[in-house]
Amino acid sequence: MLAFLKLLQSLVKELHSDGTPAQVAFGAALGAALGLTPIANVHNVVIFALLLLLNVSFGAGMLAWAVFVPLGFALDPLFHQIGRALLTSRALAPMWTSWFNAPLVPYTNFNNTVVLGSVVGWLVLFAPIFFLAKWLIVRYRATYGERVRQSKLYRAVTASQAYNVYRWFRPE
Amino acid sequence: MSTAGSAPSNALEARPARRRRGVVRWRGLIPIVVVLLAIVVGWLTMGEALLRNTIEEGATKFLGTEVDIASLHVRLRDATVELQGVSIADPFDRMRNLVEAQRVTAVLEGRPLLEKKIIVRTLTLAGVNTGTARRTAAAPAPRDGFAASTLRSLDTWAARLRKPIASFTPIDTIRAVVLDPTKLASVQRALEAGARADSLRDALAAGYRALALQTVHDSARAVTTRLSGANPRTLGIDGTRKAVADVRRTLAQVDSAKRRVEALARDARTTTVVLGAELQALDSARREDYAFARSLMKIPTIEGPDLGGALFGDVSIDRFQKIMYWAQMAQKYVPPGLLPREQPGPKRLRMAGSTIAFPKAREYPDFLLRRGDVDLGIGGKSAASGKYVASVTNVTTMPALVREPMRFTLSRRSTAGVVAAIDAAGVLDHVGGRIRDSLGVDASGVTLPSFPLPGLPMRATLGEGTSRIDLLRVGDRVAARWTIHAPGVTWRRTDSIATGGVKNTMQSLALRVIEGVNDLEIVADLTGEIAKPSLAVRSNLDRLLAERMRAVAGEEIAKAEAKARAQVDRIVEEKTAPLRAKADSLRAQGEQLVADARARLDEEKKKLDERLKALLPTGGLIKLPGEE
Repeated sequence: MLAFLKLLQSLVKELHSDGTPAQVAFGAALGAALGLTPIANVHNVVIFALLLLLNVSFGAGMLAWAVFVPLGFALDPLFHQIGRALLTSRALAPMWTSWFNAPLVPYTNFNNTVVLGSVVGWLVLFAPIFFLAKWLIVRYRATYGERVRQSKLYRAVTASQAYNVYRWFRPE
Repeated sequence: MSTAGSAPSNALEARPARRRRGVVRWRGLIPIVVVLLAIVVGWLTMGEALLRNTIEEGATKFLGTEVDIASLHVRLRDATVELQGVSIADPFDRMRNLVEAQRVTAVLEGRPLLEKKIIVRTLTLAGVNTGTARRTAAAPAPRDGFAASTLRSLDTWAARLRKPIASFTPIDTIRAVVLDPTKLASVQRALEAGARADSLRDALAAGYRALALQTVHDSARAVTTRLSGANPRTLGIDGTRKAVADVRRTLAQVDSAKRRVEALARDARTTTVVLGAELQALDSARREDYAFARSLMKIPTIEGPDLGGALFGDVSIDRFQKIMYWAQMAQKYVPPGLLPREQPGPKRLRMAGSTIAFPKAREYPDFLLRRGDVDLGIGGKSAASGKYVASVTNVTTMPALVREPMRFTLSRRSTAGVVAAIDAAGVLDHVGGRIRDSLGVDASGVTLPSFPLPGLPMRATLGEGTSRIDLLRVGDRVAARWTIHAPGVTWRRTDSIATGGVKNTMQSLALRVIEGVNDLEIVADLTGEIAKPSLAVRSNLDRLLAERMRAVAGEEIAKAEAKARAQVDRIVEEKTAPLRAKADSLRAQGEQLVADARARLDEEKKKLDERLKALLPTGGLIKLPGEE
């Protein structure tokens, strides 16, 4: 419940004033990886660490994770096809053979069709997600932002003590 | 009103200017460190339990039977894993363990672990027991797994090998059956062949019509009639040239029709060959019908090979089935070659996808046990007592990388006063593209199986004896032999409801003969393609039994068999006679049609040639003006 509240708070705050649209959009584009690709993989640990360490919107990343999970499930058959095409390509076989016999690389599970396909899919979608999120946040702030800021719900959410924890990870 | 990207309101504009900071948020390190600490604490408290569960799950999936591990300890410093209380359930008997080990210690190589590869430098086993009883039944293999599907396919495989139960019916009650013609294979084949003959006849008639011979005849007759009595003097040069062209064009039509007739002749010959093959197939189907009629008449089995298969087939199949199971598992998990290998991905909420392995020459395989040795003695006077020496080398999932076949040896010497020794050696050679496996197991002084004799109210207890299994598998072919020698076999009559007790004099004779045998030798041979091998079982008992039964009832049985054959012959002759007549008629019809067509076309061609000669001076040696 506390985690959910924090997520809600961070989301609301991100949408309004914490961070530039680019920071929020970059956080969303990174967070999309958590939703689009199978979560229990090494690359997602890296993505999560980047969300924590980079000066981007952590809340937007968490929101994007939640938004992109169903999309990830829906696109799994497509990701499988993409991954399979790449992993079974004769031209790429020497590269995969070299990679997957190198230290640590096999732990990435990139030799799984869905993992590789979804990571490639996310990389392809990274720029569109970034620009779309940036455009949406600018539009939101220009239209509904101030009205929401004045609402009782917004004030109640931001007044919670848990919000203080979130402030550690808001963009500076 | 504000525009996109601009400050939306006065309230926002009033906010103090944000401080510009770098791209890194150093405070983010705090949760990362917290997570890392949580991982370390989690590993220290639950890591070994998680790893134990993972190994149990993986090994169960790999072997297709339940694998249990009581506890696991990892020593990271020297890359050693120690398992305690390891048991592997028997996939064919869920209340038994194939093998149990009190302690298994594996020393791994460190560098390959970075490549997600497990190279076991040494493996030590202690407290090994085989064939022990389980307190609880092992979980069955997952239904959708490879092991379960292999077990299912081997059940089908074994069912195909099973021999009919031996019949020991008294001669005086051999049934006089009335055969149902529709149940006979040759009648069914004859009906199918009859339908095929009809369609072949229709095709032949259609082919004849397609020749359009009447058009050619009409055209040829018209030309010969028109030019009858004509000569160059009456026709003039132009008329003659035109007439010659007409005759030649008609001749070309006749030649073309002749070629079509020859094609039809070939079709007719093919039809004859097809029907001949159908008739031959009827003869082999008739042999099946003899066996069917024989089974309906309950004629006693007196042939040695039939008796051997009927009495000892099941127990032999059971033995071969187990060997084939492990051979199939070895083929699945130790595939030959270095091509990328696709396997189903890990189970998860998301789609599993496929995981593809990319083996590389002169690199580590995913798993390799370079050498494992077991040398231990079990004291006391239990069945497991004895001195065991076993070794395995080059156990791997990628033999093409190791470039050495997997070898194993096992020997056991009893110290419990009972002479019991087992010597086993095997080679799994999957290094090249073609699998070559061999296995030899020699056991002496061991307790041999006890089993019921199918079709008889009797149970064989082979007692102690010797057993030898030899198997050679090359590609998809197998040759295996199981030999047992039971010098102290005992027979026990059973009067269960299922067998119904002793029913008649023939059965009584069979039982007496069997009880007189106290030294039993059985040899079972399995040969041929793995998917559909043939099984031959023979023994000194079935030879003796066949002799005695032939002496007592051979003449009567021969008469009954002749009767069965006569009945089948009568029905089959009756039902297949129309087909034979149809085949003869079709052959004759085809030949007649072709002969008629050839004769008519030859006649037309002759007349046209005569006309041409009459039109061309010097028989065509001198060309007419304008003629090409």
